[in-house]
Amino acid sequence: MKKQYYLLIITLGLLTFFSACKNESGYKTLIITGQNNHEWKTSSPILKQILDETGLFSSEIAITPEKGGDMKNFDPDFSRYRLVVLDYNGDPWSDKTNKAFVEYVKNGGGVVIYHAADNSFPGWKEYNDMTGLGGWGDRNEKSGPYVYYKNDELVVDTAAGPGGTHGKRREFIVRTRIADHPVMKGLPARWLHGTDELYSLLRGPAINMQILATAFSDTAAGGGTMRDEPMLMAITYEKGRIFHTAMGHADEGGGPAMQCAGFIVTLQRGAEWAVTGDVTQPVPFDFPSAAGAVLRPDFKEISLDEAFSKLGNYDIAKSTKYFTCLKYHITKSAGDAGKLLDLEKRMVKVLTDKESTTEAKKLLLRELSWMGSDYSVNAIKELKSNPDLKDEAEYALARMQQVK
Amino acid sequence: MRDKSSRRDFVKQSAKIVAGAVILPNIIPASVLGKGGSTPPSDRIVIGAIGVGSQGMSNMRDFLELKNAVRFVAVCDVDTLHLEKAKQLADEANKSKDCRTYGDYREFLEKEKLDAVSIALPDHWHGIIYTAAANKKLHVYGEKPICRTIHDGKTIVNAVKKNNIIWQTGSWQRSQSHFHHGAELAINGRIGKIKYIEVGLPDGGKGIGTPPVKEVPAGLNWEMWLGPALKVPYRGVAHWDWRWILDYSGGQLTDWAGHHIDIANWGAGLEHTGPVEITGAGVYPIEGIFNAPVEYDFLCKYANGIEMRVANAARQPHGMGTTWYGELGWIHVDRGNRISASDQKILDEEIGENEIQLYKSDNHWQNFVDCVHSGKQAIAPVEVAYRAISVALLGEIAMTTGETIKWDPDKEEIIGNPMASRLLSRPYRQPWTLPTV
Repeated sequence: MKKQYYLLIITLGLLTFFSACKNESGYKTLIITGQNNHEWKTSSPILKQILDETGLFSSEIAITPEKGGDMKNFDPDFSRYRLVVLDYNGDPWSDKTNKAFVEYVKNGGGVVIYHAADNSFPGWKEYNDMTGLGGWGDRNEKSGPYVYYKNDELVVDTAAGPGGTHGKRREFIVRTRIADHPVMKGLPARWLHGTDELYSLLRGPAINMQILATAFSDTAAGGGTMRDEPMLMAITYEKGRIFHTAMGHADEGGGPAMQCAGFIVTLQRGAEWAVTGDVTQPVPFDFPSAAGAVLRPDFKEISLDEAFSKLGNYDIAKSTKYFTCLKYHITKSAGDAGKLLDLEKRMVKVLTDKESTTEAKKLLLRELSWMGSDYSVNAIKELKSNPDLKDEAEYALARMQQVK
Repeated sequence: MRDKSSRRDFVKQSAKIVAGAVILPNIIPASVLGKGGSTPPSDRIVIGAIGVGSQGMSNMRDFLELKNAVRFVAVCDVDTLHLEKAKQLADEANKSKDCRTYGDYREFLEKEKLDAVSIALPDHWHGIIYTAAANKKLHVYGEKPICRTIHDGKTIVNAVKKNNIIWQTGSWQRSQSHFHHGAELAINGRIGKIKYIEVGLPDGGKGIGTPPVKEVPAGLNWEMWLGPALKVPYRGVAHWDWRWILDYSGGQLTDWAGHHIDIANWGAGLEHTGPVEITGAGVYPIEGIFNAPVEYDFLCKYANGIEMRVANAARQPHGMGTTWYGELGWIHVDRGNRISASDQKILDEEIGENEIQLYKSDNHWQNFVDCVHSGKQAIAPVEVAYRAISVALLGEIAMTTGETIKWDPDKEEIIGNPMASRLLSRPYRQPWTLPTV
């Protein structure tokens, strides 16, 4: 097995190769995996894609020796990286590697702890200081207190008992606890996460740790603690910043936990914060709310171009997301007449396209009723002769004429 | 009840006499003032109800609980299932089978001779029917929010004023003593000069996606239910859940504006004005037919320097309810008799004779009945209701456009923003129009 002890840069086909090129200037990132009680071969490439997608990171995946293997040769040069992502739950690393990792964080290196990585290394003090909270691995009261919210109050609970459990997988509401933290700023206060394990009873040193978001572990949903359990955490360790997400259990293709736009975006934001202490990424239109979980099967945000290309086929019964995307961009263009006119021109193009559905045209007419300019008027007048669109066309014109 | 017009005139005339004479206790039976005893049938208000779904029925029950204060003689709804239940409730109270039913409010208003009407409809119908009822010179108990657009609201206010009717909005929190107490302490400076107000309204809930188009249930007149709103196929959503769809409502924000924003205005002396600047953002569902914001967060600035932040409860430090912050402390009020303050002593304060005495009512429906008799203004009059919902509607416009909205609360116009100004009204689908006042 010794031959497998190497630092591997996986190039997952051409796509990853191109994205790696594109991101050459991004923060150098190392994703460490290779041992996990979870499907790391699925999750690690997805983590890489999620991070590189932002254009901020340029990630590589390092695979450790298999379980029981010799860790001596697992010796990454952490100093080459701005961010280390742990998708690892396995054998202890060598003392040398541990020391190098601690040095890296002490000197300001960023870290992301992903899901079961908080199960790892129960005996490594510094690592547990970095994760803040952990579970399983025989963790108990000696590992540190349970930390959770109860009735909206933060509880640090030193009661004896095991660390780590989760009930039946389910969708659950994630609730923001520190709305003005850079990672959370602008996000909904509550959002429905895709079906996932709801990590509960985590315990650990919890030093220099802020709980950014929690989820209520409801007994009724099948195994729960009736506590609001920490889901997202921000920890500082000397000069280093650690972002810890307890979410994202990988199923085939990532599954709803990893495809969840809320998981993806909080990971992207948390990773940036871990590197710089700030977040520059805008909140995307598809960040979920309490209204429902939002999945990105390809882990990408829908672009405005894609939304326009699909808007003409609009079928409300299939999906409303492309229209929601357009509305988001209209709102974001507030006060910028040029941008609004660009959007209006593209909207009129869909409106005048014979192939576009009636449903699409109806919805566009409603938006144009308030944000349309003279540019749209003739196109809208044309639609008055269409019995299916007459009402909406008249609605739009009446509103537009009322205030020029 | 054979000749309603004569009793109706009696009630109106006695109202005028009482209002002029200030000898109210001698004329009005004690029971009318909610002190027990029985009311002669001739003094009972002859009332009808338009919209008798969940809230309309709830209001009917609240009126009937007053004991002999009102007599429901006619009910109107676009769903015959609602009508059956409402008629049954009225007939049981009347010990008769005479309560008449209507599927069209126009026929109801034309044929019935009433003193008053209780109205509880989806918001998109408020403009037309409130105005029409006021034009018929009926006293109105009307559900909040009183309008779906600012333009509708202005029209309703004008109609109520011009026709000189008694108006009570369903903002019943005003008739609960702890809300009254909190507002009275705030307006009398017990926390010093008010600087900031926090209003927490409910968080939005889960959507239902887009259900398939369904056959309209027997008994529901879908065309009439839609009325002035744009035509859409029936997907199983009408009663109650209309409030999650922007064509008919603004979601939790506008649904609750008539409660906690109304209380906020009451305690801060803002109930006859509006903000001058509004800015904020909403969180909207990505998928499905429920498209009202599930989260909302906007800041209103007033000419006198007060700022009011309106947001869903999960975003507010006190969660649900109204919190006034003054130079000396804060007071928070919410449902469930909840009232708290930065210092308990503030709540123990009493209001002196020479201080501002806010209107006192112990029962919202009784207050309406009393005012119909006395001609006095009710505790939740129309302009105050309009000012409460206009805060939410301006917030909605700020969130929709993404712009900071400048508002002139005297002229009731948006300043320098034609696009946003278009959102102050909505064209009605033919053949519906807002009645002229």
